[in-house]
Amino acid sequence: MHFNLSTLLTVGMLFASPSAFALNIFTCQPDWASLAKLHAPDADVFSATTAFQDPHYIQARPSLITKMRKADLVICSGAELEVGWLPELQRQSRNTKATAAGGGLFFVTEHVAVLDKHDHVDRSMGDVHAGGNPHVQFAVADMVNISVALTAKLQQLDPASQADYAKAGEQFRHQWQQQMQVWKAKAKPLVGKHVVGYHTTYRYLFAWLGMEQVADLEPKPGVSPTMSHLASLSKLDTRDTYAIVYATHQTNDAATWLAQRNHLPVVVLPQSVGGTDAASDLFGLINNSIDLLLTPRSVN
Amino acid sequence: MKKIWLMSSVALGVAGNVAADTLSQIKGPDISVVLDGFYQDGERAFSHRGEGFGLGHTEVGLSASVDDKFRGVLTSVFESHHGSTEIELEEAFIETLALPYGTKVKAGRFLSNFGYLNSKHTHEDAFTERPGVYRALLGGHYYDDGIQASILLPTDFYLALSFEALSGKKMDAGFDDPATVGVYSGKLSLGADVGESHSWMLGLSVLRNGNGHMQFGGDHDHGADDDDDHDHDHGGHSHGPAYTGRMLYGADFTWKWAPQGNYKYQHIRFTSEYLYLDDVMDAPFSALEGAKDSVSGYYGEVVYQFTPSWSVSTRFSRFDHIEGHDVHGHGDHAHGHFENEKLQELDFALAWHSSHFGVIRGQVSQQDYHGEKNNIVSLQYIMTFGAHAAHAF
Repeated sequence: MHFNLSTLLTVGMLFASPSAFALNIFTCQPDWASLAKLHAPDADVFSATTAFQDPHYIQARPSLITKMRKADLVICSGAELEVGWLPELQRQSRNTKATAAGGGLFFVTEHVAVLDKHDHVDRSMGDVHAGGNPHVQFAVADMVNISVALTAKLQQLDPASQADYAKAGEQFRHQWQQQMQVWKAKAKPLVGKHVVGYHTTYRYLFAWLGMEQVADLEPKPGVSPTMSHLASLSKLDTRDTYAIVYATHQTNDAATWLAQRNHLPVVVLPQSVGGTDAASDLFGLINNSIDLLLTPRSVN
Repeated sequence: MKKIWLMSSVALGVAGNVAADTLSQIKGPDISVVLDGFYQDGERAFSHRGEGFGLGHTEVGLSASVDDKFRGVLTSVFESHHGSTEIELEEAFIETLALPYGTKVKAGRFLSNFGYLNSKHTHEDAFTERPGVYRALLGGHYYDDGIQASILLPTDFYLALSFEALSGKKMDAGFDDPATVGVYSGKLSLGADVGESHSWMLGLSVLRNGNGHMQFGGDHDHGADDDDDHDHDHGGHSHGPAYTGRMLYGADFTWKWAPQGNYKYQHIRFTSEYLYLDDVMDAPFSALEGAKDSVSGYYGEVVYQFTPSWSVSTRFSRFDHIEGHDVHGHGDHAHGHFENEKLQELDFALAWHSSHFGVIRGQVSQQDYHGEKNNIVSLQYIMTFGAHAAHAF
């Protein structure tokens, strides 16, 4: 009996060994690294950027080329967010898997009901993406769709562990949908609130929470705040404005300057997973962002 | 029942739209345009940017995937010189997209991988012109017809090797019967990050030019650089290097810094390169007074972008060389003599970046050449529109 059990275990381990093959996943943002870990706990996951880096301005560094060379799967936001560096990494890493044709490229925006698409874009409009707003780490309601698509992609790349991915995906979606109710209830006081933003980073979060960004510290998307633009914002009627919202990776001078003149409180949100201590994974990112939005602080 | 059917069809319709909108259609090639105009007071040695108003490196580029295995790039360059406009084909190459083991092959006309600056387009530079040693030994940037094979090794740090075989016609010292494949070159590149804020890259290059040394016994024996353009000149200015030799060696180092790796608000780049040209001339010439078998030079530059829209840069460069005076072959012996010369430059530039796609730059260069100090002032714009290819490190 003892002998049989150990034989069974050995045979079991032999069968299990194909699934011990760990997928190597390269992500463009820490949010997708978190999502990948939640869907493929055994995978070797790397994020090319941190929450403190502007994702439009990443250098195609030697270290990133080396990492991408080894990737089985590349997960990025897409909609041209990474257009200034991802194509160079793909070209230089010579990884045929990490391309659309190779099947190992997953753009999250392709699985999101993208907001603010433009039929006509030219550069006088600033850094506007024709494909719509790419900051989809805050597309709370779409995360279920993203999870389904990512699960299918993982199963396609690593068929031996199909059942594991199915289970992890279902578990993620179950938890996420539960949390969505918790977050919605908690964020009730935020419904209808108007804010001044800095870039369109929180477009999806505000839309989901029923908030509205009525002004932007940037004169045009991607164009840094200018004195004349801030001066015009300081003259706005702010009786209906709740707060000035910016991200931990952005400089605070523009927001502070305006807050002192308009006497508006400020909220500093994580841009991505890791942007604050509490935003340690995708759940924490949304939860912490709502907590921070609920408690604006005044600037003196 | 009907209501449920309607709702699900609406849901399907929405999902269908999401899919249809993001499915990319076959689009035309990426077209990019670089406009480079300048006003300059004075002229730099070994340069083809003249005094006054002019157009620098005005580029029109086309690129696209040919299929799943090849990509094609075509770049033509327009430059104005003393009232006439020249058109030059700078790049016309294909490269593989699907070779295994991190390998790639490029064929056609392309920028050689030698050194750090050479493989970059000049619109990426932080200065109006490349350093003196680059202008003298590589003609500013060396591109040629040939083939390149390269490999990115599966190491934990960045390690890449490339090999090139090129026609070498631009670097021909004036051979009557030049080798068909004149130039072979190789490069080793290393790189890594140090923490979140620092990145570096190191390159070692070697280039063998079979037609590079000053040959004795031909019909056209003449001295190295009798009048700054012993190579293929087009009416008084040169595109090729002024100095060639049998072997060219290069070492380059680049370091970049941005606080927490966030390049948007501020960052610094430091680059330095050393170039050493060896085996410059045949024996009867090298026995002449003042003759040397090698020339060399270096530069170091720092670029500091201190806000999203302003950057300052400074560069020091030096090129130690020899100049021939009335050097020529005569039967079985040579005449003339050589003198030591140095070109030393100190540059300062201030640039305003209207966005990621536009730069207006003012530059002052102090040039120390032929025992004379000159100040050269340049005002330049570089604006790009259309597709804008991502830049390499």
